Amino acid sequence: MDNEHIIQAENLVKRFGKLTAVDGLDITVNKGEIYGFLGPNGAGKTTTIRLLTTMEKPTSGSIVIDGHDTRTQFLKARRCIGVIQQQNSLDKDLTVRENIFHHGMMQNLSIRKSKDRMEYLADLMELSGRMGDKVSKLSGGWKKRVSIVCSLIHNPNILFMDEPTTGLDTQSRNMLWKMIRNINNQGTTIFLTTHYIYEAESLCDRVGIINKGRLIVEGTPAELKEMVGKFTLVIVDENGNEHTEYFQDMQSAKKASLNASAGGSISIRPTNLEDVFLELTGGKL
Amino acid sequence: MHNIPSEIFRVAYGDLCYMKHNLVQTLVSTLVGPLLYLLAFGYGMRSGDSDYIAYVIPGIVAISSMNSGFSSSSQKIVIQRLFHSSFDELILCPMHTCSVIFGKSVMGIIRGLVGGLIIIGLGMMLTTGLHITLLLIISMLLSSIMFSLLGVAAGLLADSTPTLSMFNSIIILPMSFMCGTLFEIDSLPPIVGDIVWALPLSHTTSIIREAANCSAIEPVSVLVVLIYITIFYSISHVVIRKKLY
Repeated sequence: MDNEHIIQAENLVKRFGKLTAVDGLDITVNKGEIYGFLGPNGAGKTTTIRLLTTMEKPTSGSIVIDGHDTRTQFLKARRCIGVIQQQNSLDKDLTVRENIFHHGMMQNLSIRKSKDRMEYLADLMELSGRMGDKVSKLSGGWKKRVSIVCSLIHNPNILFMDEPTTGLDTQSRNMLWKMIRNINNQGTTIFLTTHYIYEAESLCDRVGIINKGRLIVEGTPAELKEMVGKFTLVIVDENGNEHTEYFQDMQSAKKASLNASAGGSISIRPTNLEDVFLELTGGKL
Repeated sequence: MHNIPSEIFRVAYGDLCYMKHNLVQTLVSTLVGPLLYLLAFGYGMRSGDSDYIAYVIPGIVAISSMNSGFSSSSQKIVIQRLFHSSFDELILCPMHTCSVIFGKSVMGIIRGLVGGLIIIGLGMMLTTGLHITLLLIISMLLSSIMFSLLGVAAGLLADSTPTLSMFNSIIILPMSFMCGTLFEIDSLPPIVGDIVWALPLSHTTSIIREAANCSAIEPVSVLVVLIYITIFYSISHVVIRKKLY
């Protein structure tokens, strides 16, 4: 294994009966980066994360997690990962402290180690004041913080997060992004799925775009945008039909806008990852 | 190297915390059914016939351990599997499959034992024919373990809550009435009686009744219970291993 690559998946396929959810996926994630997996609902993001975290067996293909082939060393691979699923998997009848402590126990940590890690992580995630509260009384943002602490209790090298900010308000989302960066700064590699353009652009070092179970393109957000053109000329005609063109510099975009005749409106804006998706697949995120 | 007893406790810790927070609700839900059986069959039908009460109470204890063991394990696992996906996380943890299966049955075992002991205690106030002995506790423990393991297996196999309810209606409920709990199996038509005799509750009822009445326990019934324990455990083991690599 290349030491820099902490996740390597090759030709990954997952079929559920006649449905092919993941279709020949190759993914490489570098150690220490935040890798975003961007795609519309039903693209295969959750299935991919379940394959990478050994929750599902692939129909074919190979996965190496932190040097451990999941086919032969799945227990070792599992010890290297923390998982935050899309749905909240906390026990709502238990307090925050009990939930976190239970996760520590499930990871075979000693009572002392569980308590030490719990205190450290609660401090990192600004949870210390809520440890005695029942999970059922927490808002979505707080529950997500508890989930993060639970998944980090055994100090994994990689944290998988499936749509971590879905359903959160803007304030909670911003807070969570800050915390994800904090965790990443401590040395944890983060693999997250999202369908939020801004999240992928502002949080991730590299982004892979998935559609219909296939990886369409991969790179830094800047590289992906540059691939189609840094600027987008949007022309809306008198019937409301939208037409877009991409340019590498503002001057070319302005020139093209002068030549364009539209009964509606013309605007130029920086290209975003939705434009990349649209250009490459013809669909919307 | 796995420390199985320690791992079982670690798996069960969450359920034990839940029981601590919901002690009253857990006790009430464990006892309401058996108390109604006691009232209806012990008093309503035989007007407080002391011999019949001594006969029927071990049957009610067997029903109670079956219902508590089965429902505690199966419902929790179905919810964790289908609605929270937390069972997937559980089997991702570095725990032996055996620890996961027995850990998830601990709550059912405790509920079955505690409920049964309370019913026997109440029964001892009503009749002199019942005794709490070590053999009785072991019999109740075997019964609770068996039905909790059945609950784990059902919880792992059920693809929805209606499926689990159907299992309850088709398997658990008929067993409650037919398996020698409230009347002798011999009074059933021969073929039906043979089928009923093969069911697990018939044997737990038999050993609990014999232990509570200080009679000799049928070794065949103990053997059958142990075979059922092995079968129910094996089903869960295979299902979990199939999910894993």
